[in-house]
Amino acid sequence: MNAKRTFAVTRKVLRSLRHDRRTVGFLVLMPIFMIAIFGFTFGGEVKGVEVYVVNLDEGAGNVSYADLIVANLQHDETLNIKEIITPSSGLADPVAYGRDKVVNGEAWACIVFPADFTLDIVTYVPGNSSILDTASITMLLDGSNTNIMQSVTSTVQTSMAVVLYQDIGFTSPVRVSVDMVYGDDMEFIDTFAPGVISLAVMMVTFMLSIISFIHERTTGTLARLLSTPVTEGEVVMGYAIAFGLIGLVQSLMVLATALILFDVQVEGSLLLVLLIIFLLGVGMQGLGFLLSANARTEFQAIQFIPLILFPSILLSGVFWPIQAVPEVLRPISYFLPLTYAVDGARSVMVRGWGLEQVWPDLVILTLFAAAMLALSVLLMKRR
Amino acid sequence: MADDGYAVITEGLRKEYADIVAVADLRLRIPSGCIYGLIGPNGSGKTTAIKVLMGLVRSTAGSATVLGQPVPIKAKDNRVSYMPQELALYTDLTVHENAQLFSELNDMEPSTFMEREKEVLQVVGLLERKDDLVGHLSGGMQHRASLACALISVPTLMFLDEPTVGVDPELRSGFWEHFRMLKGKGMTVVLTTHYMDEASRCDLVGMMHKGRLIAEGAPADLLQETGRDNLEDAFMEFIRRCCS
Repeated sequence: MNAKRTFAVTRKVLRSLRHDRRTVGFLVLMPIFMIAIFGFTFGGEVKGVEVYVVNLDEGAGNVSYADLIVANLQHDETLNIKEIITPSSGLADPVAYGRDKVVNGEAWACIVFPADFTLDIVTYVPGNSSILDTASITMLLDGSNTNIMQSVTSTVQTSMAVVLYQDIGFTSPVRVSVDMVYGDDMEFIDTFAPGVISLAVMMVTFMLSIISFIHERTTGTLARLLSTPVTEGEVVMGYAIAFGLIGLVQSLMVLATALILFDVQVEGSLLLVLLIIFLLGVGMQGLGFLLSANARTEFQAIQFIPLILFPSILLSGVFWPIQAVPEVLRPISYFLPLTYAVDGARSVMVRGWGLEQVWPDLVILTLFAAAMLALSVLLMKRR
Repeated sequence: MADDGYAVITEGLRKEYADIVAVADLRLRIPSGCIYGLIGPNGSGKTTAIKVLMGLVRSTAGSATVLGQPVPIKAKDNRVSYMPQELALYTDLTVHENAQLFSELNDMEPSTFMEREKEVLQVVGLLERKDDLVGHLSGGMQHRASLACALISVPTLMFLDEPTVGVDPELRSGFWEHFRMLKGKGMTVVLTTHYMDEASRCDLVGMMHKGRLIAEGAPADLLQETGRDNLEDAFMEFIRRCCS
């Protein structure tokens, strides 16, 4: 393989980009846009969920635990209590009123404290009371968004536990002690940032590769290149280096954005993350080339994009773990190169793992890249 | 080295696409150092024949050697150059960048390239436009840029597929002067054209019709053989003879 000719092809790809500001803008801004959108959408906690409270608690003596819990909830940013309805509000059926608010979409939940809420708590005797004697709260919930639903229920439960512990020293008989081995102080964005970086690089290199090669074929430039002493291997390698470099620049941009905007964790070696992304970029470039051979026009070529992207987005562990993927689809997950890039990048960034732990991911990505490049050369030779 | 003074030799060369015979049993002997014109109407097999000789398309049957090496040539060198019929240049690169790319792929030294680029761009009349993107040039200029890229590497044998299409008469005349100059330096130029007046400027002409070589020889000899006074009429006469 002649290095000068190989780099001539690499330089050609990069020079083409230099003259095409729109594509450069796409290459640079798209991954940044992706991480920013994902970060702001999923990275933030749920806040300001509109709820109504129906407090019918008559208390016991001069204490009302419902009042205390509601006061505690009012200090919690998760919920935005629109209105507290009490018997003195003058409504004939306060619970129906609260339910209507949820039904009409004006609130995500209506929290109902019954009249004997406090009484049931103070008369509760552990071991002697039946389930019917225990105090209960009714939540009328709009479960159309599981994130919000879970936030509302856990906020109410936490608030209840805090108030009861502070006032009557009530605690659960079981305490779960958590010792974070990895991911201490971790937020959701820390989990998915490595995934989004890998996904962004994969998307861009694959799309750019499939379009570039179909263009090379339809305009006759590929045939013309191959009429010179340059070999098929040099063309493929020249492209692979160019696309790998583009992937590296992109991952640096995304990482910088994630660090500046969301302060993501990078526990391990940044170089190792970049190596993982580079291999993924090279492999996806090869896959783009192979698929471009099955298309006659750019329009046909772009039809392959969703075919590769959708399974990758959904099944590679970018947003949810592979363990959450139905078993019947899991073989596809293990077949997707993005799975190994996400796993490797995440292990390095969050767990701080080094080469001695992530080598299996690196081996698979290297094999994938090598196989794609070798197949590309073979396909080019078969013309 | 060429075989027995021939730059290109083909024997029974055939290329079929599904049920279409693009090139049928082509037997060519192109002497080194001449300007050889493959002429014929669109679809007569000229371009396919050149693509087979360049190793860009595999032949269905027959054999060919180019500069003494059997086609497809395994280790290509920079002695053979090719200008395809379509533009086949990177429109998002400048004329200079395209020329530089093809010089690098042909293993030229940067210093040689600088000199050669100036010379070639002067011939094609694009010296002033060398820093323009190819995509910003007119169709004719793009065609000239494509020729410049084929000329850049100082080859021994050039395959030029319709090099003068869309080129104005004055520049076309300049092209032919350059071809003759290249020939003077010992280079073999194989070109295709469907302009019969151009064919008369070639040393040798091969007339193709429906994939077959129906006549071959020096233009003057072909005219004499048919008793016609121009190559277009001679071509029609050969078609009549071969199809009757």
